[in-house]
Amino acid sequence: MNPLKGIRELVRGLQITGKHLGRHAITIQYPEQRWTMPERSRGIVVLLSDKETGELNCTACMLCEKACPTAAIRIDAPRDEKKKRHLKQFIVDHGLCCFCGLCEEACNFSAIKMATKYEFSSESKEDLVWDIKKLQELGRDVPYVDTRKKKKEAAKAAAAKAAPPKPEKAEQEKPNFPPKPESPSQAAEDNGRTTGAEKEQQSLQLGDERRQDDKEGQS
Amino acid sequence: MIGKPVLLAELHGLFQWLHEKLQATGLSQTWVDIITYATLGVIIFGVLSLIALYLIWWERKISAHVQQRFGPMRHGWHGWYQTVMDALKLLQKEDIRIVTRDKVVFFWAPVICFVAAFLAYVVMPFGDRLIVADLNIGILYIMAVTTFTIISLLMAGWGSNNKYALLGGMRSAAQVVSYEVPMVASILTIIIFVGSLSMMDIVKAQSGLIFNWYVFRIPFGPIAFLTYIVAATAECNRTPFDIPEAEQELVSGYNVEYSGMKFAMFFLAEFVNMFTVSAIAVTLFFGGWNGWDFIPSWIWFLGKTLIIVLLLMLFRWTYPRLRVDQLMEFAWKFLVPVTFANLIVAGIFKYFGWYW
Repeated sequence: MNPLKGIRELVRGLQITGKHLGRHAITIQYPEQRWTMPERSRGIVVLLSDKETGELNCTACMLCEKACPTAAIRIDAPRDEKKKRHLKQFIVDHGLCCFCGLCEEACNFSAIKMATKYEFSSESKEDLVWDIKKLQELGRDVPYVDTRKKKKEAAKAAAAKAAPPKPEKAEQEKPNFPPKPESPSQAAEDNGRTTGAEKEQQSLQLGDERRQDDKEGQS
Repeated sequence: MIGKPVLLAELHGLFQWLHEKLQATGLSQTWVDIITYATLGVIIFGVLSLIALYLIWWERKISAHVQQRFGPMRHGWHGWYQTVMDALKLLQKEDIRIVTRDKVVFFWAPVICFVAAFLAYVVMPFGDRLIVADLNIGILYIMAVTTFTIISLLMAGWGSNNKYALLGGMRSAAQVVSYEVPMVASILTIIIFVGSLSMMDIVKAQSGLIFNWYVFRIPFGPIAFLTYIVAATAECNRTPFDIPEAEQELVSGYNVEYSGMKFAMFFLAEFVNMFTVSAIAVTLFFGGWNGWDFIPSWIWFLGKTLIIVLLLMLFRWTYPRLRVDQLMEFAWKFLVPVTFANLIVAGIFKYFGWYW
């Protein structure tokens, strides 16, 4: 037993707690202060609309309904004479939803997404069942990457039989980590364009492309 | 007193004024004394209850900030009246009394605990001439009276008819009795130098600036202070010596069966006790209300006491709890020899007149 050593350790303990006492608390005072949720966090399910026409991206392919493990998605889309489905009603029951994000993964047309909003408590179960109008309204301002457009562009490019733009693009989109000697105006433009969210979107885009490529390769 | 220029009101002048006014009404001396002391008692009781409430709030804030939380934030600025609301809530709560209790013992335990916690303030020197009664056995009286707390804890444990409560009470008794020995021995070290048990004399013996305080009488002063503060922490059943209410083992110890205001009385008494031991530490080792003249003496006393309280709170949120056998071993095998050796050293210093 060495009392002096023990006392030194006790004093060190006091130093540590004293140090923490002087620091500022890291708690977020919830209703007054909120976290900005990360772009890919999984909150409510929303339907996305085309940015130009304002119409829903959904083509009623029913893939999300099939992917949903809790059957929270109900789609009413009757076929017409040409056996083409027309979207009539799209219901998401947020009381059933388990926020797994499988619907978003299943969707090929960037029509459904999990937004960052996470506060939607209500007083009754019925209020959690949201119909197509509400889902569209909620999805209006949700930023997303339109994979359909890319498909169209790719199809156009293939039709024109020009040199495939993809490799060029890949070069451009590579992050300038070893900063290449660029013209200053271009660098400034780049800096202006690539905010954090956009960068993430770009990476998302790349990921989507890869996935699509894989699928194409499989088919 | 009144002619002396002071920045803030001296409380002593207020009491003198009250006494004179009462005498002017032509009452007999007995009635004047009764009224004066009753007023004093009410004031001290009120102030200490308030202090205890705010110590609870302070403890919660400090524990929170040590863990980088905020603690209570909702009631007023940083939750300053949170504990007041808690006390109001406890007042309104149902007083649950289990059927198998020992009725008399169960009822009187919190009362004794509460009263015993406040008794020590009869001889507490709050400031210059600010003392209810300057008994010539001051510190001895405090040691005798604060020991009542053990009886109340034991009564609470026994009266509850609950094994956790009884174990808590027994542990508390064993612990407090053990730690009484080193505590008294470290107080004796100071008493040797003062030559008096009166609290006023102890304070006056340290008058002057910092280096007259007994904590700076090297080598025995600091050691006596350390042993005293350790024993005092054990005396008011605080972590790391809180085995009487060890949550993991005993749910909550002696006060499991209490609810409502009875529980609040135990809780407040705990914090009043903490303030008491800190006040004694200030009186014995940190010069009591001595300090620079331009700040009123009672503010010096309060400020120093709150610093010691802060130290006790930091202890609580820094150190882990001791096991029962380690606790006893520490008291009898380490603290008692150290304090007695210290006492002998202090005696030698006093005999040869080696102190300054």
